[in-house]
Amino acid sequence: MAHRGTPPDDHLAPPAPSEGLDRRRFLTVLGVSGAGAAALSGCSTDKVEKLIPYLVQSEDQVPGLPTVYASTCTECAAGCGLHVVTREARAVKLEGNPDHPVNRGTLCARGQAGLQGLYNPGRLRGPMARTAEGRHEPITWDDAMARLAERLRAPGGAVAALSGAGEGTFADLLTAWVAALGGQTVRWEPFGHEALRAANRRVFGLDELPAHDFAAARHIVSFGADFLETWLAPVEQQRGFAEAHGFRDGQMAKCVYVGPRRSLTGLNADEWLATAPGTEAAVALAMAQVILAERSGWPSDASALRPLLAEHTPERAAERSGIEAERIRQLAREFASAQPSLAVAGGIAGQHRAAIEVCAAVNILNYVAGNVGTTVRFGARLQAGDGYAGLQALQSAMDAGRVGVVLVHETNPVYALPRAAGFAAAFAKVPFKVSTASVYDETAAACDLILPAHHALERWDDLRPRAGVHSLMQPVMEPVYDTRHPGDVLLQTARAVGGPLAAFTAPTFEAHLRAAWGEVARRRGAADAQAFWREALRRGGVFEEAPVTPVRLAAGAGASGATPALDGDGPLTLVAYPSPMLTDGRGANRPWLLENPDPVTKITWQSWIELHPDTARTLDVREGEHLQLTSPHGTVTAPVYVYGGVRRDVVAVPLGLGHTEYGEFAAGRGVNALDLLGGADGNGFLPYCSTRVVAAKVRGYTKLAKTEGNPRQLGRGIVEAMPVALAARGLTVKEAYEAMGHPHHELNPESELEAIEGWHQAQVEKQKFGAYAEEHPKWGLAVDLSRCTGCSACVTACYAENNIPWVGEEEVTRGREMSWMRIERYWEGDEDGAPPEARFIPVMCQHCDNAPCEPVCPVYASYHTPDGLNGQVYNRCVGTRYCGNNCPYKVRYFNWFAYAKQAFPEPMNLQLNPEVTVRARGVMEKCTFCVQRIRAAQHHARLEDRPVRDGEIVTACAQACPSGALTFGDVKNPDSRLVATLANPRAYHVFEEINVRPAVTYLAKVYHGGEA
Amino acid sequence: MRKVAVLGSLLALGTAGGILLASRPSTAQQGPAAPDSLAAPALAAGDTAALPGPRQPIFFRHDIHAGQFKINCQYCHYSVGVASEPGIPSVETCMGCHLVIAGSDSGGRAEIRKLRQFWNDRNNPDAPRLEWVRIHTLARHAHFPHMRHIKAMGPAACGTCHGDVSRMPQVWEVNNVNNMGFCIDCHLARGVSRDCFVCHY
Repeated sequence: MAHRGTPPDDHLAPPAPSEGLDRRRFLTVLGVSGAGAAALSGCSTDKVEKLIPYLVQSEDQVPGLPTVYASTCTECAAGCGLHVVTREARAVKLEGNPDHPVNRGTLCARGQAGLQGLYNPGRLRGPMARTAEGRHEPITWDDAMARLAERLRAPGGAVAALSGAGEGTFADLLTAWVAALGGQTVRWEPFGHEALRAANRRVFGLDELPAHDFAAARHIVSFGADFLETWLAPVEQQRGFAEAHGFRDGQMAKCVYVGPRRSLTGLNADEWLATAPGTEAAVALAMAQVILAERSGWPSDASALRPLLAEHTPERAAERSGIEAERIRQLAREFASAQPSLAVAGGIAGQHRAAIEVCAAVNILNYVAGNVGTTVRFGARLQAGDGYAGLQALQSAMDAGRVGVVLVHETNPVYALPRAAGFAAAFAKVPFKVSTASVYDETAAACDLILPAHHALERWDDLRPRAGVHSLMQPVMEPVYDTRHPGDVLLQTARAVGGPLAAFTAPTFEAHLRAAWGEVARRRGAADAQAFWREALRRGGVFEEAPVTPVRLAAGAGASGATPALDGDGPLTLVAYPSPMLTDGRGANRPWLLENPDPVTKITWQSWIELHPDTARTLDVREGEHLQLTSPHGTVTAPVYVYGGVRRDVVAVPLGLGHTEYGEFAAGRGVNALDLLGGADGNGFLPYCSTRVVAAKVRGYTKLAKTEGNPRQLGRGIVEAMPVALAARGLTVKEAYEAMGHPHHELNPESELEAIEGWHQAQVEKQKFGAYAEEHPKWGLAVDLSRCTGCSACVTACYAENNIPWVGEEEVTRGREMSWMRIERYWEGDEDGAPPEARFIPVMCQHCDNAPCEPVCPVYASYHTPDGLNGQVYNRCVGTRYCGNNCPYKVRYFNWFAYAKQAFPEPMNLQLNPEVTVRARGVMEKCTFCVQRIRAAQHHARLEDRPVRDGEIVTACAQACPSGALTFGDVKNPDSRLVATLANPRAYHVFEEINVRPAVTYLAKVYHGGEA
Repeated sequence: MRKVAVLGSLLALGTAGGILLASRPSTAQQGPAAPDSLAAPALAAGDTAALPGPRQPIFFRHDIHAGQFKINCQYCHYSVGVASEPGIPSVETCMGCHLVIAGSDSGGRAEIRKLRQFWNDRNNPDAPRLEWVRIHTLARHAHFPHMRHIKAMGPAACGTCHGDVSRMPQVWEVNNVNNMGFCIDCHLARGVSRDCFVCHY
């Protein structure tokens, strides 16, 4: 098995004095290196380096310059466009494709971590087959292909395929190929939006997923849909949400979250209505009832809903959901008066037994509020797959022994389905199972033949994530290992088997794809198919507006609003939700995602159980103590995280960990909450949120690997916020404090102000000397906290750009994470009882003009550059850590061990950005404002004899941010976007009173409510 | 006995170092052996041991290419004006001329035959690769954008750091590019940035 062993336990320990090194050897070593140094006379390496020239120069590679290819992200079904930055023919960074309509140039953390899928050390080196003893052993491709062809000539039952690939030419080929063999292809993804589709079918007669226009909405109500994390197309939705909910021109949309657990989306909402699980439908129907009864302007046919809605009064909904009737009424009025508004249902609410009712109720609510056709647009047909019902049909066929050969592609059902669903047992009955997994995952481990596929960045392919978007993928580099395009596997097998497969004549998948695109060009009337293809490849695909299908209420439109019966009879309802970083578990082998803290809890690398403080008190558990959850289907034990954002009768567990295989980073880490769930219950989807559990404290304690310091601001004014009414009046943070009747928010007393002025004068004097007297730009960054959602895409972007090593669970618990850029999440509000509000703030080096780190460095490693950066010169740093101690923002990170050696094992080292030094042990490191990007832009401008343009330099964090919360630029350029942002009255500096004069300016968050 | 061995090895190493030091030319920019005439001397591969600088897999003569035939540096080092990296010419670039130029003496012809062998083996993944010995290796913590220096000092500025390679039958390290003083002297003289963060990040 090509399974990498875990590194030895002592890999982080400082090197012990070597026992083998006696005096003689010591002197010998000394002598040799001394002679070497003399011979080569330099402080650089003594090793002779080789320069290996290209045999034939590639036309699009210039050494030292990045080459960017357009491609498509395959990390989730959203289908975002990529710009893959390559250096010397290897991918080093993933960024969003600005031309792509889904993500418009930005990318989430998961998308960016696709690189760690490409360079994952757990990837299979080549094909493998199961031996008689049940082990997997490497075989050659010729052997593997022969075995597959031989089986297909006599399959001994039906041939079936189970695929997680999105709609596209490969999926079409696979479907046609399996159909030619008389079999069926099931396209399945976990969290497949089955309930939403069923509800759309019932209410509007359309079996499809619409697009949602968050940007236009003035009032957003989410019924459990985590549209900022995992639901549908998070990057697109986040961009829209920031447009709508970001404060601009005196206003911002309001957002309300309805559901039993307050997720990241919930924390970004202005209000959380903590409904009992499964009662979201009652609230939505009551809102619709109020709108129909009190307001006008709804579509004429909506009156047909009156009898249906008559019984769903707010009072009745209040009884069930636990939300006050008056609050529901008020919400309905707000919702209907904001035009347009938008209600969405999904996520937790889309995963319990009443999910179809919830989605149908929300459809009705959107319809009576007049949102269907404006913010809810049918016709976009977001891709969805066949849903769990399709998988169940396949499973029963397998269970009955009717399937002879099954091919599994890009999905891991053995892990991602509850054990109680019985998939693994049915799967085992298939005589010949083939997987194209590129990593040895749980499903591959159960297969007889593994034909590892190229990573998405190594292959030709295309995707059609929605109507109007046809997105291309192209190989950006040579395959890392001996893998093969699954399309080539299908075509080559077709040639070998012949017979029913003889119709598949394309020599390679690339040729097949080109032929398919020739057809696309013809359909679009392109005169020159070659030029059409080249242009599509350059842009990343062909994009056009999705058509909007007008919809009316279907005849049987309705929703019952009934509360579902739950599985089991424990006192707590389990909410098993997809982790924002790991989703259904596919992110669990990517250290960037494991170490990027969960945005809500700030926990890394671990599984946890969320309990309400009152419930925790009742059970007598505190944070980190182990809790055992028992359902009718199994038990799970994990440390507790006490969180006021879950209801008292709810226990929430993130999904994504608890793998038994899936590479060294994932296997054996954490627990899989799916063990608590049952199978489907006839609704055609998996109820992730319909199981009752019993919780019991058990022996054991695990220190949670949280990256937060104090979870509360303690009056330090780190994340300033003001109500929308005050922000609309153009008040500054200080004025807003006074307007709210708080005691005078005085930053500095008179005496300090005098000292500060004196210091300022001294600085002005200093600027007359040396390089500091010359004309230099002064770099600055602005962060609009009313747009930041805390999604942490910037954190992964920073890791990828700056060669930041991950440090692992143990080191995080010691507070040694290296995240140059981190998102702080501070809880606000009453510690007990009241639901917590969160304030998110990205914190990076503030590049202070009066930086406390600089004067304390004994070796001038930390110093101020003439262009206003706080420089850190690694080769000068001797590691006193004085600077880190003196930094008020805790943004300096000490490299305690040679983290890079552990963090970039082969082949992950291929991802390293050659423009950034890989730091050694014992140096302090920190955010540089992506100085390598500043220098690159300056070089480029100099070669063109022009000044650097505004917007030419974009830091990695600002580039990635789906909300567009960060603006980088030159403070001295009066026409820059940055200077315009700094003029905003909401602008403030964190810890302004200590007079460090940061170059990072924050714009205060704006919230609804508190408008007294 | 042990002591003797240690001393012996130290002495031997010291002597070796001394010899290496002595045989190494001074860091001045003018090369020693090459004559002033533009015609490069006839040398065979066997002569390389006597020349300064590491022995390369092919006895490539900068003195013939850049000196005698006055081929521009950028003809081969193609990216030096646009990127940080100067670019090592591909074998294809060499073959652009050496498809027809076979060499004027037996020594040269032997070397060109080696080159052609690498070219003929280009589709054979198991064939040995052409591995030049790197002479100038800048420490990883320093960034040297070649294009900025070419832009500022012109396309003939290469010699400032690399010495006059047009007179070197075999290239050696004339200046220690890892000696920061060497960089700073020039930056001081020209009045350009001495900010650490310009090169070290």
